[in-house]
Amino acid sequence: MREPNAIDFWRGFALITIFINHIPGNTFERYTFSQYGISDAAELFVFLAGWSIGIATRTRDGAPEPRWRSVVRMLARTVEVYRAQITVMLLALSIIAGAALLLDNPLILEWHNAGNFFADPIQSVCGMALLTYQLGFFNILPLYVVLIGIAPIIVVIARVSRVLALGLSFALYFASLILDWNLPSWPGEGTWFFDPYCWQLLLTLGFVLQDWNRTSPAFGRWTRRLMPVGVVIVIVGITLSVLDIRPDPLMVPEPRLLFTFEKSYLTPARLVHFLGVLLAFSPIYALIAPRIGWIVGFLSGLGRNSLAVFSMGSLLSLIGQLVRFQTGGGLLVDMTVAGCGLVALGITAWFVEWRSRRPSKPRA
Amino acid sequence: MVRRMAFPQTFEAARMRGIVVALCLGIVPAAAQEAGMPAPSLECRVPGSQLYSVAGLAAAKAALEARHVLRILAIGGSSAPGASASYPVKLEAALEQAMPHVDVVIDHRGLPGEIASGAAERLRSLVADAEPDLVVWQVGTHDAIARVDPTAFAEALDESVAWLKSHGIDVVLVDPLYTASVATDTDYNRIVDGVRDVATREGVPLVRRFEALRYLAGRTEKGEGHILGRQFRLNDLGLRCMAEHVALTISASLARTPSPPPTPVPPKETPALTEPQRAPG
Repeated sequence: MREPNAIDFWRGFALITIFINHIPGNTFERYTFSQYGISDAAELFVFLAGWSIGIATRTRDGAPEPRWRSVVRMLARTVEVYRAQITVMLLALSIIAGAALLLDNPLILEWHNAGNFFADPIQSVCGMALLTYQLGFFNILPLYVVLIGIAPIIVVIARVSRVLALGLSFALYFASLILDWNLPSWPGEGTWFFDPYCWQLLLTLGFVLQDWNRTSPAFGRWTRRLMPVGVVIVIVGITLSVLDIRPDPLMVPEPRLLFTFEKSYLTPARLVHFLGVLLAFSPIYALIAPRIGWIVGFLSGLGRNSLAVFSMGSLLSLIGQLVRFQTGGGLLVDMTVAGCGLVALGITAWFVEWRSRRPSKPRA
Repeated sequence: MVRRMAFPQTFEAARMRGIVVALCLGIVPAAAQEAGMPAPSLECRVPGSQLYSVAGLAAAKAALEARHVLRILAIGGSSAPGASASYPVKLEAALEQAMPHVDVVIDHRGLPGEIASGAAERLRSLVADAEPDLVVWQVGTHDAIARVDPTAFAEALDESVAWLKSHGIDVVLVDPLYTASVATDTDYNRIVDGVRDVATREGVPLVRRFEALRYLAGRTEKGEGHILGRQFRLNDLGLRCMAEHVALTISASLARTPSPPPTPVPPKETPALTEPQRAPG
């Protein structure tokens, strides 16, 4: 078990933010940082995933582990994330169907695009296995499967040249923005909520920046020097979101995606804002960690077990939405839902670590 | 099978029956004669007064007359071709039946999430992608289930509809589904009222699905049952009838809309491409 550190801490922070933001309309939603900027916790989560791959594919002293080993490691992780996605989808659909039956309310079946599944299980179940059928709010894991799946390519190229990896990644990103590339949804029309062609850039950035951060003293110097720029970007982000100012997709010039604020495509405005947030907030951990006591341990615990905590969090936020619907919401309900959710996430992280600590008996 | 009956094979028979039914129920007979009304099947019959309110569809009318093509972006609801969701296909068929010389092109997209938080943004991107003449928007169920504040919902919806109109795109709103457990739910009803108020304020047609389903729920049932009970049967029926109800509303609204070229169109319905938008940005 790792000691608490900045990466796990911010990851835990992103997980809690995603959990709260996935219960729309709840009281605490308006107090998350996502409401005060152009980018949000999804960017942080994917970036830190790239950063973690950088850590995981090297030994403690910084030497890269053998190439084949990194590749197999990431393929194993892909399988793990895929398994989590399938399990979570099945449970989410059961929760939705169960709630509809229990409350005698078929409207719930139409929720989050689940109606497609119940209307057409034959195609939808294939789409579920192919990841092309996604539920609303359950679309980060499919992105994650694809990103971890292609991560070996990024890692292998970056071992040759970090600049080359970053260059290819940026090229794919801009090509997708200009040519409007995205993976299709099926059954039904449309495309993925998180466009992997665009979002791969954040994973690559996380991976490459981790490496630079480790090897180059100039990198650390520059991030400190640029901190004021980050602060300015953050302030601009707050202003734009509080005043609700954003470009009108029908008024901007072509190619449209270079100018809008679309989450699906991680458009340049979101990317720049996120990098600003990184510059402004990366020094914060060292300042606050000694002052906030157990919170550091709690958030780092969540971050260390991010896949389990994320999966559980997405199911808990679905249950939270149902509870809010049935009870009518309100501050008391919101406090109970958020409080129980945080405790359950903590227990999830603890449970995963407890299970992995137990000496495993040799299997028969 | 009832589902088959809902979508008759023969064009003429369907049309005849549609007109007969429309006349029997007093569903805008003038519109039926003028534009040709799509065929409401027996199981979906609802009196016009409880089904929709009409309003001008200037952009759609202009597209029809100039290009004989009507591009519709259908937003919301399930799109897989199951029981409910041949919806886009059915809608296209029903409209082409009502307007034989027009090519109706339907792009159907789901819009998960709440209008009051995030989904309104996504709608704008969908619209920018599809560049439709008309948006048919099933709206409010998500927000109602998420217990979004009805005032915040109505404001966000109003802003989105105003944005569409400012770009010369017509809108037909479809209010939330009805089921017994929400009949007396105050917040749910406020969301339904919110959709109606926005439709009135912005002068756009409204499919009153909530009322229509309540009417259908009150009708004595002799037909098929549902293994999961009455509410699930009603819900299936509601989803099946969607296409017919929307097609009726569009046809009736188009029949009311004056033709653009000879007579100058009232400014309210002109595609206001140059008009400043309501939403900042």
